[in-house]
Amino acid sequence: MKLQTKFNLGIIVIFVVLAIGIGALSIHYVNSNTIREAKNRVRIYTRAAWEIHDGKIARIESALEALARTQAIERLLQDPDDDRELTATRDKLERIRQEQEMDILNLLAPDGTVILRSRYPYNTGDNLGSDPIVEQVIAEAQNSSGNVILSQERLDIAGEGLVERALAIGQEPRGMFAGAAVPVVRDGEMIGILEMGALLNGAVEEVDRIRDAVFENETYKGKPVGTATIFMGDLRISTNVLDNQGRRAVGTRVSREVAQQVLENGEPWTGRAYVVDTWYLSQYDPIRNPNGDIIGMFYVGELEQRYLDLRRQAVAMFLSVVVGGMLVAFLTFYFLTRGVVQPIGKLSHATRQLSSGKLTYRVDVERNDELGDLASSFNTMAERLEAQRLEIEENQRRLTELNDELRTTNRNYMEMLGFVSHELKNPLSSAMMSLHTVTDGYLGELSEAQQKSLDSVAQSLQYFQDMVKNYLDLSRLEKGELEVHEQTITLYPRIIEPIIEGLRQALEERGMRVLNNVPEDLQVCADGNLLRIVYDNLLSNAIKYGRQGGKIELDAREENDEVTLRVFNEGEGIPPEKKPELFKKFSRLHSPEHSKEKGTGLGLYICREIVEKHGGEIWADSEEGKWVRFSFTLPRADCPINQGG
Amino acid sequence: MPETKGRIVVIDDDVQLVESVTTLLESVGYEVFSAYRAEKGFELAKQKGPDLILLDVMFAGPPGPDGFEIARRIKQDPDLKETPVVMLSGVKKVLELGYDVTPDDTFMPVEAFIDKPVKPEKLLATIDEVLEEEN
Repeated sequence: MKLQTKFNLGIIVIFVVLAIGIGALSIHYVNSNTIREAKNRVRIYTRAAWEIHDGKIARIESALEALARTQAIERLLQDPDDDRELTATRDKLERIRQEQEMDILNLLAPDGTVILRSRYPYNTGDNLGSDPIVEQVIAEAQNSSGNVILSQERLDIAGEGLVERALAIGQEPRGMFAGAAVPVVRDGEMIGILEMGALLNGAVEEVDRIRDAVFENETYKGKPVGTATIFMGDLRISTNVLDNQGRRAVGTRVSREVAQQVLENGEPWTGRAYVVDTWYLSQYDPIRNPNGDIIGMFYVGELEQRYLDLRRQAVAMFLSVVVGGMLVAFLTFYFLTRGVVQPIGKLSHATRQLSSGKLTYRVDVERNDELGDLASSFNTMAERLEAQRLEIEENQRRLTELNDELRTTNRNYMEMLGFVSHELKNPLSSAMMSLHTVTDGYLGELSEAQQKSLDSVAQSLQYFQDMVKNYLDLSRLEKGELEVHEQTITLYPRIIEPIIEGLRQALEERGMRVLNNVPEDLQVCADGNLLRIVYDNLLSNAIKYGRQGGKIELDAREENDEVTLRVFNEGEGIPPEKKPELFKKFSRLHSPEHSKEKGTGLGLYICREIVEKHGGEIWADSEEGKWVRFSFTLPRADCPINQGG
Repeated sequence: MPETKGRIVVIDDDVQLVESVTTLLESVGYEVFSAYRAEKGFELAKQKGPDLILLDVMFAGPPGPDGFEIARRIKQDPDLKETPVVMLSGVKKVLELGYDVTPDDTFMPVEAFIDKPVKPEKLLATIDEVLEEEN
């Protein structure tokens, strides 16, 4: 994965986690805040509604107090049977009741017996002492007010049209009454009671005032923002909640849950309420009569939709701020990291170029920070590497030239050596022949001094001859002419036997014998001419350095895929410390025993070269003073070309 | 030399060697005739009818038949085919030169091989051996 992708994924993961966290927190915050706020507001609205309701009753009370002090009331109470006075007062009270938009305005005797009703058909004579409001006035001679339930009989007596109004709403014949009663006092004595109030069933004035005052009659998406309702028991008797047809939804009942909490337990209920066809954040308060009995409920609700929308807007705004902020942060991060990652990418590419050998590649990062330093260091390094490579190539070229020159020189030298050696070979041969003809006495007896002197010449010539032979071999090896032409060769008849034959005279002179343990049919894969050189050298050495009259033993061991060929002779042997020198060019072992025998220092070197060219090894084992054994290996693998015999 | 041990033709391009060999052979009583070129040697042998022919393998100088070619001619020649031939080259050398022979190879029409350089004793012994066998 690319660095940039890793950075991006990392930051995206961080941002997504952050966004989810912040989003959840903000939604939670907005939710709880708006809900608390809504509940607070609906509580305040309810209080305001109560103020309006209580204010209305208080106004009734003040109006009644004023009325109680009038002469007319006093006169009528002093003489209730004065018909003229009664009619006049009744007309006056009826006018007042209508002005106050009240349904009931009664004048009672101190015991609660009705003296005057301002509502047609003006029934009198019944006793209202059991009415909780009146009851309180009778008992304490003080103002009393509140809400009470009026039975059907009382509504019926109270005047025309009231039972019908009640029945029109949910077939409920009772009514809910809000009003007040005040004592009429003269000279410290209560001489009568004035009672006034309004039937709430089907009334709209109060709930609409609440709606208009508290909610300013606002609508939201076609729905009223606020609504108010008065319940008698669980029955809506006065409301501005509209039903599906747009009519006031009176006559319907409240939910069981609300009824239970408010009507039975007497506790206010606050929460979401599904009112007719939509959700309202609502409060229901119990309405009690002056005795403290729960007789109904007061409802105020605010349309929830507005809050939901507000909340949604708030959340949307919150989220857009969060998402926008993160987008800005991500872009900033992206460009920052890209500023780092791009140069790293360039450097990485450049490093690959460099490692693939393109040393002329330079990185192009123009920056004033650590990456810029890195890039310029890289370029410096690349320049150095390039310079070094050029230098190395130059050195290599010069070395190759030198090497070629050396090889040419060596080749020329070896060619000359070979030529000279070859030219020396025949004259040496005939010189030896002539010398031996003399020393062997064919041309007459020699004196001892002559003999000795000529023996010394013979020894020098012998050394000369060995040297010529070895130099010829060496020159062939070093000229690189010596390619190995491997053939399957039967070792004994093709190689060993002719060599022993050629060395017979030397063997006889030294009184030595050769014991061959190489199987006569053993075959090896080798270049016959080269292998002859090896055997010739090893056997010549065995004769030259072996014990006079000693034994030379040849054998072969076949192991796995190679053959080990060995040449053993009795004799001085080789000191262990001299062994590593044995196969080096021009190495000579000087021992007192062999001070006469001078080697060319090439024989074993030539042997090693030849054996190694065949893929084999050559080494020497020895017990000092007793014997020495040269061994070399040849691969047994079948020859690619199977020629010869 | 009162009595000759026999007649030997030496054919070799190495003048020094021919002289050495001649000196040696004459010192022990052989009558020696020598030639330095292969074909000349063959004609000399035909002319002299020797008891033995000493023959080199390689001849320097202008291209011509080598020792083996001459040996073959000798063996096919009606006058010379009974004359023993000793090759003045060891088997080792012959093998190195690429001739496919073994010491007891009956195909090779020669009686013996002698390695150069050769010591007088060895040369004389070989010649004696061959001549004895012929008789």
